[in-house]
Amino acid sequence: MRERHAKMQHSGAWRILPAVIPALFILAWTAVSVTGLIPTYLLPHPLEIAGTGYTYVLGQPGEGPYAGRFLSDAGASLFRVGCGFAAAVAVGLPLGVLSGRLSLIHRLMSTTVNALRAVPGITWLPLAMVWFGIGLRTTVFLVALAAFFPVYLNAAAGARQVNPLWLQAGAMMGVRRLRGTFAILLPGTMSHLMTGLRLGLGISWAYLVLGELTGVPNGLGAVIMDARMLGRIDMIVVGIIVIAVIGRISDQLLQVGMKFCFKSARRTA
Amino acid sequence: MSSHLKAVALPGRKGKGKILEIERLQKVFPMDGGFLPVLEEITFLAESGELICILGRSGCGKSTLLKILAGFVPPSFGKVLIKGTPVKSPGPDRCVIFQEDALFPWLSVRENIAFGLTGRDQSKKSRTLEVERFLELVGLGEFGDYLPHEISGGMKQRVALARVLILKPEVLLMDEPFASLDAQSREEMQNLLLTLWQELAHTILFVTHDVNEAVILADRILLMSKNPGRIREEIRVDLPRPRSRDSSALLNFSRRLYEALRD
Repeated sequence: MRERHAKMQHSGAWRILPAVIPALFILAWTAVSVTGLIPTYLLPHPLEIAGTGYTYVLGQPGEGPYAGRFLSDAGASLFRVGCGFAAAVAVGLPLGVLSGRLSLIHRLMSTTVNALRAVPGITWLPLAMVWFGIGLRTTVFLVALAAFFPVYLNAAAGARQVNPLWLQAGAMMGVRRLRGTFAILLPGTMSHLMTGLRLGLGISWAYLVLGELTGVPNGLGAVIMDARMLGRIDMIVVGIIVIAVIGRISDQLLQVGMKFCFKSARRTA
Repeated sequence: MSSHLKAVALPGRKGKGKILEIERLQKVFPMDGGFLPVLEEITFLAESGELICILGRSGCGKSTLLKILAGFVPPSFGKVLIKGTPVKSPGPDRCVIFQEDALFPWLSVRENIAFGLTGRDQSKKSRTLEVERFLELVGLGEFGDYLPHEISGGMKQRVALARVLILKPEVLLMDEPFASLDAQSREEMQNLLLTLWQELAHTILFVTHDVNEAVILADRILLMSKNPGRIREEIRVDLPRPRSRDSSALLNFSRRLYEALRD
């Protein structure tokens, strides 16, 4: 069973499997575009998108309105996501683990957290703009707020469900609380922590775009908004694809990084 | 209490003084308005180096008794003394082998065995040697780098044994540790336990519902009855060791015990 699995993983078909859906999608898109089923002012031809994307990523500034802006946009967006996500993890993860283990903290937090969670993130936008103005701080605030919930909730669920036998085993082997936390509780919660971090990072990208739609000069969300106002559908699509690609890469980097740093992430998550 | 006996008692030597004293232990669980008595009037002594089996049917409170001795659960009344000191919390002087798999799945076999040693005052080199020694002792010399999910149930219990024996506990508390193994592995594990016990001379309290297991292992059997859990009878197993599983003396002993357990 395992051998067959390993064999399958080394075949060429296995490698291209992730590309199948995107490829089919582009094929269908091309067909729709060539036959004129959907007019190109709504959905441009894939080749046109590719051209716009090329100019955006590799073009020289001055060639066109968006030429060569990719690096500064992506850099600004990554920085905002990084700050917001880091803040969410720094607060959400320890608080989540605490509330999963201590009923006092759970009781204290759960009503508030679940009430706040019910508020759609976009509702915070007007308030955040009043508080923080337009730009970095509003975006970071929105990202941090949105990413907090999955990180917190998954950490809490994981810490609550951690096998009690592991904790008992630690106690009878003479493990004190501090070491127990770092050597048993957190590794034992790792698969949940990973889920929370990945969901949190994913939603960070969503709220990044929301924060950047408010009229900041740079960033991937800003480009999309700008392109909408100029009627550059092709650029909107390029923006979407760029965010999808960067989001996917950041998710994989997160996993690789966690596995590099933690045995428990390598072996159990 | 014969305090001078304690003074001369060496840890890990057979029959030299009492190591565990359980006095009038009771446990009640609160249950909708009332109380459910689980354990009543449990009193016994364990001599150093003794192997005691606590035998009873499911639900007689034998696991609860073990949890109290381990310090996971406080008793409602009565006391538990280990070498004269009351038990308040779990500690490495009373190590537990659980019925279910309680290894850390993110650690290799070797790392699991070394886990309890971390933070002890011991050089890294001697720690490594110690871990290798216990890997060999439980017959897992070649499996040090495996992860728990890659080895069988019997091997997992070997790791569980090694990771606590390496801490040199005074008392080993075993809660039906071999119940989920197949008959052959169970027999192997019983033999291994006896070998280790003869070599390392720990005091062992072994909870089981299996009459044969109790007869093969025990110096003394505490027979428990149900509702509430009490020690009904204390039976000394004076069969010579090593005990052969199919000797008529042992089979007779088992049969008599089985009948005693039934009524």
